[in-house]
Amino acid sequence: MSYQRNQNFSSRRQQNWSRNQNTVAYVSAIKLGPVTHTVLIALMITILGLIYLTQATRATSYDYATQKIDSQIAELNTQKSDLEIENNKLNSLEAAKNSTVATTMTAPATTTYVQQ
Amino acid sequence: MKLELQKGSRSKILAAVVLSTMAVFVGRLFYLQIIQHGFYVDVANKEQVKRLTIPAKRGLIYAMDGQDPVPLVMNQTVYTVFADPQTIKDDAKIIDTIKRIAGGNARDGLQALLDKKDSRYQILATKVTRVQADKIKAEDLSGIGFQEESQRVYPEGSLAAQTLGFVDYSGTGRYGIEDKLNDRLTGKDGLLQSVTDVSDVPLTIGNNNINKPAVNGDNIVLSIDRNVQSHVEQALADGLKRTGATKGSAIVVDPQTGKIMAMANLPTFNPAKFNEVTDPAAFNNGAVSSPYEPGSDVKTLTMATGIDKGVVTANSTYVNTDHIQVDDRTISNATLGQTGTITFQHALNWSLNTGFVTVAQLLGDGTNITRGARDTMYDYFYNRFHLGQLTGIEVAGEVTGTIISPDEVDGNAVKYSNMSFGQGLDVTMVQVVAAFSSLVNGGKYYQPTVLAGVMDTNGKYVPNKVTSSPSNPISASTASQLREMTHVARSTFYSGVDKQGYYTGGKTGTSQVVKNGGYADDESVGTYLGYGGSADLSRYVIMVQVSGDHKTLQGARDALPIFTDISNWMLDYLKIQPKG
Repeated sequence: MSYQRNQNFSSRRQQNWSRNQNTVAYVSAIKLGPVTHTVLIALMITILGLIYLTQATRATSYDYATQKIDSQIAELNTQKSDLEIENNKLNSLEAAKNSTVATTMTAPATTTYVQQ
Repeated sequence: MKLELQKGSRSKILAAVVLSTMAVFVGRLFYLQIIQHGFYVDVANKEQVKRLTIPAKRGLIYAMDGQDPVPLVMNQTVYTVFADPQTIKDDAKIIDTIKRIAGGNARDGLQALLDKKDSRYQILATKVTRVQADKIKAEDLSGIGFQEESQRVYPEGSLAAQTLGFVDYSGTGRYGIEDKLNDRLTGKDGLLQSVTDVSDVPLTIGNNNINKPAVNGDNIVLSIDRNVQSHVEQALADGLKRTGATKGSAIVVDPQTGKIMAMANLPTFNPAKFNEVTDPAAFNNGAVSSPYEPGSDVKTLTMATGIDKGVVTANSTYVNTDHIQVDDRTISNATLGQTGTITFQHALNWSLNTGFVTVAQLLGDGTNITRGARDTMYDYFYNRFHLGQLTGIEVAGEVTGTIISPDEVDGNAVKYSNMSFGQGLDVTMVQVVAAFSSLVNGGKYYQPTVLAGVMDTNGKYVPNKVTSSPSNPISASTASQLREMTHVARSTFYSGVDKQGYYTGGKTGTSQVVKNGGYADDESVGTYLGYGGSADLSRYVIMVQVSGDHKTLQGARDALPIFTDISNWMLDYLKIQPKG
């Protein structure tokens, strides 16, 4: 028996159908019409939009939180600077000279040195 | 023949209308969104995208407190309180609150300011502190706003005012370090470009956001020691009070490094209140910006030149007749009577002009200040001791002064004979101090500096690295002889005023003042230039200058006591061990 090639295309599925006559294709009885499709697509778009909006709003709310923290940092830095200035003023030579301790100090009568 | 529209149904007409309308919309949208795209993007960006400048913090300035830096200049956030007269509601409450809380920072005539209803911005108080601003905010006044700004504060008051300078209203440094190192101190502003909401809060949406942080200015540490500076200022003030001088300057330098430990000038000013200064001359740092004829201090440099060239020693002799002839001029000593054959040490002790003119002659052919002698003196004074040149000290306003070259017509023998004892040249104190330091430190010339280092971002002190080695204007042997000569010169007359067990030396200077082309009879400048430390190491060089209009001030009488005050204090402060 000779095998001849022909030019007609037959898919593997068709070949299977031919080979296995008991192959069954189930088709749903429920059919979605064009209106339902449109509504479903609209719903999906709406849900995607809501997800986008939620994320965008969340990002913006983070910005506000960041801004608030930045303001607090700036405020605390300002307070720190003010305290540093006050500290340095209190430790300045002028403050030391005018302190009660300094005003009651007396010059030593004699000075001796440790011999090296 | 009828058109299709004319013969068509109503639905076709409606479709045509709708399509036409749609076409108009599409056309318009195409124009707005495609053709005018760039224009509207720009408009939207202008509305939504804000470019906010992140201001760089101006660097702080520190001084040394022994081995540790302490801030001399800091930044403080202060507020300007303003009102919108059109929206304020309770004038009386506003005025009462501002006066009660802002106190002296409130402007005069608050009611009149609030009555200017055609204005939207009236300043009610300036330089209000954060605490005061918070108290005013707590009063919840309508129509009142706050503008934040940074100002310089000075915990040590007017200490080292001319060395520091100040920052003007535009934020630019003026005078001193603030001016000279303005770029380093200013830093670089950052940029924040972002979409913002109506309250200007930056939002992270958008594609063109830029967040470029500010680069703060350097925190600079000066070599100025606040304790030394304070004592020098006090000693100078006491000296001026004692002598009647109206102007004074003093420098204290470490001769082993060239680092300035103190630089004081009187009259001075408070940099926090620079706007209240009536005489701008108070801003000048006279030690670097006021050239003068140094007088007899320069005799030490002439002597160093003579010794270094091998034409003279401390014990060499010459015949002093109190007068010496140079070309057609006769030069006389200020102190007469030390005549006869005397040593150059004796001439230095008594500050005899004839001795140093003789040194100049010995640099030539022995009897004339030849061209060769003048070239030698110029080489030492200008090239080696750097007189008449900018020293490069890091404060604004330094001037060169003048040393006349032998190449110039005026650079003749008479000029150089005068220069040998300190006349006919203009120099600054800092030049003289730097030159003299090389005589007492083994012959090394260090460029004078007021910079010690920086504070890094962690607040740690990082000293400057030594980048250049000192030059050697004279040999170590010459320096050693000069150190000894100035020690003898001081101890011959003034040994009783010094603390015992230390090694000090110096030279007086009394300079005539040139006015209207000639030397004034009623005015002179008194200086004293000396050093102190142990026998084997000079730890400090001090130069003091006192002057005043129509005041005849002398080095020995008026400047020397100030030197002695500072010197004796320095010996204790530096914890130098006395010997003997």
